Amino acid sequence: MGVQQDIREKGLLGAAAAAADNVFTRITAGIDAGEFRRMLQGDPPGRPNPRLKPHSEAFLLHIKPTYYHESVTRFNHTFRLGLLSTYLFIVETITGILLMIWYAPSPERAYTDMILLLTNIPFGQFLRDLHRLGAEAMVAIVTLHMVRAYLTGSYKPPRQFTWFTGVLLLVMTLFLSFSGYLLPWDQLAFWAVTIGTSMAEAVPPAVVGETVNLLARGAPDIGANGLLRFYLLHVLFLPLLLILFFFVHYYKVVHFGISLPADEEEVGEDTANRVPADKRVYYLPDVLTDEMSFMTVITTLLILITVFFFQAPLEHIANPQSTPLHTVAPWYFYWLQGMLKIADKFIAGVLLPGVLLALLMAIPYLDYNPSRRGKDRKVAIVAGIVAGTVMVILSWMGTPEYAVQGAPSVEIVQELMPEEGSGISREIGYTHLPLGIWRTDEEYDAHDHEFNELLHEFQATVDYYRRQDPDFNAPVGQLTITQDQPGLKKLHWEIFWYDAQGAEGSYKTSFWLHEDSIYWEQYGWKQSFLGYVSDGWKSLSGAFAGE
Amino acid sequence: MYRFFVTSPIAKLLWGILASLVGIIVLLLVLVSEDTRMAAQTVNWEGRSIENGATLFANNCTRCHGPNGQGLPGLGPALNSFYFFMEKGRLQDIGWVGSLEDYVSLTIAAGRPSKTNSPWAEVMPTWGSQFGGPLRGDQVEDLTAYVLNWREFALAQTAEEDPFQPFPDVNNAVEFQNAAFLLLSEEEQAIAREEFKARNIRSPQELWTSEVCSACHNINERQVDVRGQSGPNMADLYERAGSRVEGLTAEEYVYESIVDPTAFVVASYEAAGQMPENFAEKLSEDEIRGLVEWLLDPNREP
Repeated sequence: MGVQQDIREKGLLGAAAAAADNVFTRITAGIDAGEFRRMLQGDPPGRPNPRLKPHSEAFLLHIKPTYYHESVTRFNHTFRLGLLSTYLFIVETITGILLMIWYAPSPERAYTDMILLLTNIPFGQFLRDLHRLGAEAMVAIVTLHMVRAYLTGSYKPPRQFTWFTGVLLLVMTLFLSFSGYLLPWDQLAFWAVTIGTSMAEAVPPAVVGETVNLLARGAPDIGANGLLRFYLLHVLFLPLLLILFFFVHYYKVVHFGISLPADEEEVGEDTANRVPADKRVYYLPDVLTDEMSFMTVITTLLILITVFFFQAPLEHIANPQSTPLHTVAPWYFYWLQGMLKIADKFIAGVLLPGVLLALLMAIPYLDYNPSRRGKDRKVAIVAGIVAGTVMVILSWMGTPEYAVQGAPSVEIVQELMPEEGSGISREIGYTHLPLGIWRTDEEYDAHDHEFNELLHEFQATVDYYRRQDPDFNAPVGQLTITQDQPGLKKLHWEIFWYDAQGAEGSYKTSFWLHEDSIYWEQYGWKQSFLGYVSDGWKSLSGAFAGE
Repeated sequence: MYRFFVTSPIAKLLWGILASLVGIIVLLLVLVSEDTRMAAQTVNWEGRSIENGATLFANNCTRCHGPNGQGLPGLGPALNSFYFFMEKGRLQDIGWVGSLEDYVSLTIAAGRPSKTNSPWAEVMPTWGSQFGGPLRGDQVEDLTAYVLNWREFALAQTAEEDPFQPFPDVNNAVEFQNAAFLLLSEEEQAIAREEFKARNIRSPQELWTSEVCSACHNINERQVDVRGQSGPNMADLYERAGSRVEGLTAEEYVYESIVDPTAFVVASYEAAGQMPENFAEKLSEDEIRGLVEWLLDPNREP
């Protein structure tokens, strides 16, 4: 119908209104303006429901079910953990693509690129911190999602395969997170990944293990090839694999419906396709509003945590010649590191995780209990709680607290001024380190509250190891602070002691601290941020006032 | 109550809007803080580079250059020294046209793997991995940052504190190998230099080599081709010099040509203009006269 004819029939205003409505309907993929207004007012849909049209018209909506059972939309049933996992994956994709702009995966450039990102790119640090936070949150949320599905028995028929793909997605999330670990090319990255890939070497027979290790590292040791391979795994292979399995997983979720609370649904029942009319909650507009506002709140939370409480670590540049004192895996692999401390590499690094994974995937096929109710599943729930507790204990054993103590003298210095990271000496900073010789067997008042605290900590740590170790008697620690260069102080640590036979022992090491250096902890209040804001504000208002 | 604040659609929308506002405000705060944050991060990484350099220096360099970089007599030269950092110090003496940073980082990376002309007991090893040494590029950069960070200390040194040690590979340095000279004003230095020149007259042969005259002028074989080297041929100078310029003797002509190279330019060399114009400052009067006499001597000793 031509425009002229349209105007002749309806008049100019009428034709314009019709055209506007037409455009609106196209944008909303089938909801006209009147229907949209009724949605906002909370009116029920007409019959047949005109709000189903976008589900068949629009690609993104055709993936979503048209309605849910009222019981599954309750927050405390699913906690929206699946949605949150997906959302975090999207956050990671967006921040990841932006980070790729300033990154080249070669040992010559990778670390320098990190520093450039922090020093020269507006929002560079924010992007990096957000990406790192999102990665760690994604591991946590995907795990919690699995725990929720386990505790509510949602893996039982007909949803066995949904659980199976979910476990695969968890594994991929872990690998994704771990493959990204190497990319900054710092000591943390290099040694965590060296340990990680060395577990692959333990796969029997030897030829398989060595081949897998060689394939991952691209050479006997991690170098340019290894970095490139981890980069490609991280930005291409694993995300694509994850997207593929996400759609398999989500297809199953929609196909069988989200499991209802245990006492509303019998195992094996096809509740997804038999939702009573009065229990239906339509995706448009109710669930959509809920999901949008939920994701907005989560986005803001992520931003707040990134800006105020989280700072991705960046240690010294990777150095294959020197292993840092306490090499730790990321926290979600502490349990693995804990197992490696009590068993050999094959059993703890390959066999047990492999069996664990197989068991996890097989749970729905092994559990023949026909009920999802908690009171009928005592064994399963107790087993789950025991498994969780074991994981927590293993994780604790994975931290340096457990069983990797070096010599007391080394540990003392490591505690006060670690090779990597901050420690109390760097935390109090250059200005609070007065020049002089400070001994643990004397009392001082350095007229500096923070330095007094450091001295106190020094005494306490030396004393702690004296009580712990019979080979560490009458220990004395001495800290000599000298001005080595303009703006550069040298902290020379010396520890003297007698061993059980009465022989003297001593340990000396030096660290330097520059007045402009900033050292930070990964988690915790970002002290500097508000200072930057007020400085930035001052220079901004100064610039305006100057005009 | 719960329904009104949490589960009703309107509450959800409001929470969403509130959250977006908070998020936007925080991002604006980040935007405001970015310049100062980036500046702080920049000096942070420079500081850390110096810290890394300090560790590397303590492990690798103190054996010859001393624990405070003040050198060890006979082993290695002082780096934390007035002479090393002053404007017309080491760099000018060796004719280095680049920056001190280039000089330090290249010396660390390439080393000085030659004993010729060296007063030190050991050669400076090659450190950079690109030349087969043990240190990566970033480590050489860290070391350079550490050495350059002595500037403020070094330039504040008094004559007694300056651990200056001779670099006998350079003529100018031989002349005034004490810190006291370097601390004189420019006029005082010029006087001291003149006095020194008057006391120490170099032979024409030595000057011919050290001032690199031979790079452009051939004094041994007569010119065979049209152009020859980049400077006029001088093998037959004693025959031609007297007749080159009306009213000037051979001695006057050669003397004038050394002191002011643009005075009489030989035909076909007008465009070159490469003869240095500072010989009057660099050579003493006696040295120039000796050179003129030697150049005009048909039986001169090479």
